[in-house]
Amino acid sequence: MPAVALKPDEILKKLGAYWVNLGAHDEAGADVPRGEDGGLLRACSMTLICFADDEEDPDALGHTLASLMREHPSRMIVIRLRDGEDELAARVSSKCWMPFGHRRQICCEQVEVTASINRLADVASIVAPLAAADLPRVIVLRSARIVRAGALRKILALGDKIIVDSSRPGAPGFGEIGGLLDAGHTTGDLAWTRLTPIRALLAQLLENRRPAAIVIEYAGKEAGPESRYLQAWLQTALPDAFVSLRGNGLPPDCEASDGKPAVVRVDKDIAVRLCTGGAEYDSGVMRQRASMPEGTEERLLGEELGIVVHDRVFERALNHITA
Amino acid sequence: MVIFGANGDLTKRKLMPALYRLAYEGRLAPGFAVIGISRTVMTDDDFRARMHDSVPKFLEDSPFDADLWRSFAQGLFYLPGDVGDPVLYQQIVKSLEEVGKEHETAGNVLFYLSTQPSQYAEIAEGLGKAGLAKGAGWRRIIIEKPFGHDLTSARDLNTRIQAHFEEEQIYRIDHYLGKETVQNIMAFRFGNGIFEPLWNRRYIDHVQITAAESIGVEGRGAYYQEAGALRDMIQNHLLQVMATISMEPSATFSSDAVRDERAKLLRSVRILKPEEVAENAVAGQYGPGRVGGQQVVGFRQEQGVNPESTTNTYAAATFLVDNWRWAGVPFYIRTGKYLPKRVTEIAIHFRSAPLSVFQSADGPGETVPNLLILRIQPEEGISLKFVSKRPGAGMTLRPVSMDFNYGASFGERSPSAYETLLLDAIIGDATLYTRQDMVEASWCAVQPIMDYWGAQKFDFPNYAAGTWGPAAADAMLARRGHVWRTP
Repeated sequence: MPAVALKPDEILKKLGAYWVNLGAHDEAGADVPRGEDGGLLRACSMTLICFADDEEDPDALGHTLASLMREHPSRMIVIRLRDGEDELAARVSSKCWMPFGHRRQICCEQVEVTASINRLADVASIVAPLAAADLPRVIVLRSARIVRAGALRKILALGDKIIVDSSRPGAPGFGEIGGLLDAGHTTGDLAWTRLTPIRALLAQLLENRRPAAIVIEYAGKEAGPESRYLQAWLQTALPDAFVSLRGNGLPPDCEASDGKPAVVRVDKDIAVRLCTGGAEYDSGVMRQRASMPEGTEERLLGEELGIVVHDRVFERALNHITA
Repeated sequence: MVIFGANGDLTKRKLMPALYRLAYEGRLAPGFAVIGISRTVMTDDDFRARMHDSVPKFLEDSPFDADLWRSFAQGLFYLPGDVGDPVLYQQIVKSLEEVGKEHETAGNVLFYLSTQPSQYAEIAEGLGKAGLAKGAGWRRIIIEKPFGHDLTSARDLNTRIQAHFEEEQIYRIDHYLGKETVQNIMAFRFGNGIFEPLWNRRYIDHVQITAAESIGVEGRGAYYQEAGALRDMIQNHLLQVMATISMEPSATFSSDAVRDERAKLLRSVRILKPEEVAENAVAGQYGPGRVGGQQVVGFRQEQGVNPESTTNTYAAATFLVDNWRWAGVPFYIRTGKYLPKRVTEIAIHFRSAPLSVFQSADGPGETVPNLLILRIQPEEGISLKFVSKRPGAGMTLRPVSMDFNYGASFGERSPSAYETLLLDAIIGDATLYTRQDMVEASWCAVQPIMDYWGAQKFDFPNYAAGTWGPAAADAMLARRGHVWRTP
């Protein structure tokens, strides 16, 4: 039986026809007014290529991606990978919203490709021509299937930046992420991005200090990627300090996920508790609480999409871990 | 209108749908009639039935009106015959008299040569000898590309046609020039005041013209292996596009004024010396590969193609224009079959800002050159790429694109290239047709490449179907510090 075909030109043609239709008629079939006061705006500042496993809840993924579009309007190409039968199919759609007080909708286009994992090499050649020209191309690797697939190199070549989340099950480890950097890929890891508010707080606290010892206490027996990134960041920023990790050091009233940093102790006089929804700073003399933005996936991805160049601080921390 | 090759693909797919659409818009004179000629024996009604089958299929973005067709079809006639037989031309004389009387055409005749190129001269001579090149009304002759297969044959063909037709009567068609977006290049350049001051070697670093096809030869292997990408696309379409991009503004928009400037530019294209060809031109031929998830065969395995063919299905060349405006600015042109997507675009790469003042913590920031994209197909339009500050803390720059989309901005149907060009020929406007001096100048530009390639042994295939062509084409740009843009 011949393999299923999927021609990029046909997808682009469908996309063109889709926009013509979307611009002419609303969902109820009524004519959309043209000009300044109406119609819709096709917004695109990058191509976002997201690889997900087919088992992942499509609604949750759709919600995550849709919420990114306001800040980072993109041509979204979502590839859902599954095991089993030879499969390759695509459909086009859009995500639209109406900014408050405006009459013009803003829409981003989406191409959803469903493919069996054995067609991954074909997916690369189909997706490449779909990318919007001259704009950044960012790949989000959420699929565990893809990470160890033979055609991964072809997939990675599609993007200017690759975003992974090393805290997800089946995600690439530090060695693999380091390999991406060595191969010249601009890379982001959401496990690192989760630390942004913590790093901002610690940077302010430590601005005028020269600590001798810093201990990062984490929940559970094994330090997760966030804890290890935090250690590496502190160590590279403060080379004279001794920065260590300690497991199972969770205070009784503290709730934190396994492996994530819960408390950072600076010398013997400062403790920053990260396990109570926000952050609590305690120097023995002063006790203060700081709010921390929730580490939702939308926020983390949004932050990473804002950085399309190399993040040298992240790369230094990763090199420290993999050295 | 007399169409030679009336049973061919071009008549079915392009000419007749274009004529029907012109009729639909009321742009044809009421008595307009077509006499189709080819070797196949059939009646007027057979011809009408065949056209009735194909026109709705190939009409672009247009409705098919059965009532209008009935009226339009009354003006379709057919004459079977061999173009090498003098009797045919006497029959044409007779038919034109009859149709002219019935349809009141005032003796105006447009001949359209849509046959094998080898028959062009023979037909022009046949028409001339039968006295058909002159008559009571105007007489014009449209000649399809290719106009010759090299410089010598182009000159020879011209001499034979001009023995019977004046240059003003000859319309050499290059359908690329009839495309709305190619015409819009002139509107963009000469209708706006802000671009032309930047349109020179001082601000433009280089220009890339890409005409990529995502399909192979699609059963035309036998024809294609005689032509190749350089002859089929670069010698005519793409050099004309390049001339439109780089010509000087004409004093008026009259046919000769515009064509004079185009011709002047084409004559300024530097002719490569034999020793310069290897570094400035790359030939490619596709091998087997995967396209859209399916395995496709290489060119040599295509039906009707010699298994040892050295025909180029990909060609890339660097052209330099020796005039004050463009001295030192490379114009890179590439075209090929089985590339990753179907796209025709011109990318004007401007020079970078002389200094990046936006330093990052890890060193000097990069300057990103501005890019102006003129999209000819698909999604006709214009994009300007520049950098912008990303909202938020710090001075982080991000590339953004400002787009003009033809379809979205005007919301009305663009006429097909053949509609535009046929109407122009009918009203006697040759602005978008090529002239003999332009044809010869573009053959002069590619002749050294053809000569050099003709003496080479190529290690074909050198690119897999579904990829952006041979590595040598990347190396050609790398020698000047450039890279091909991915459209």
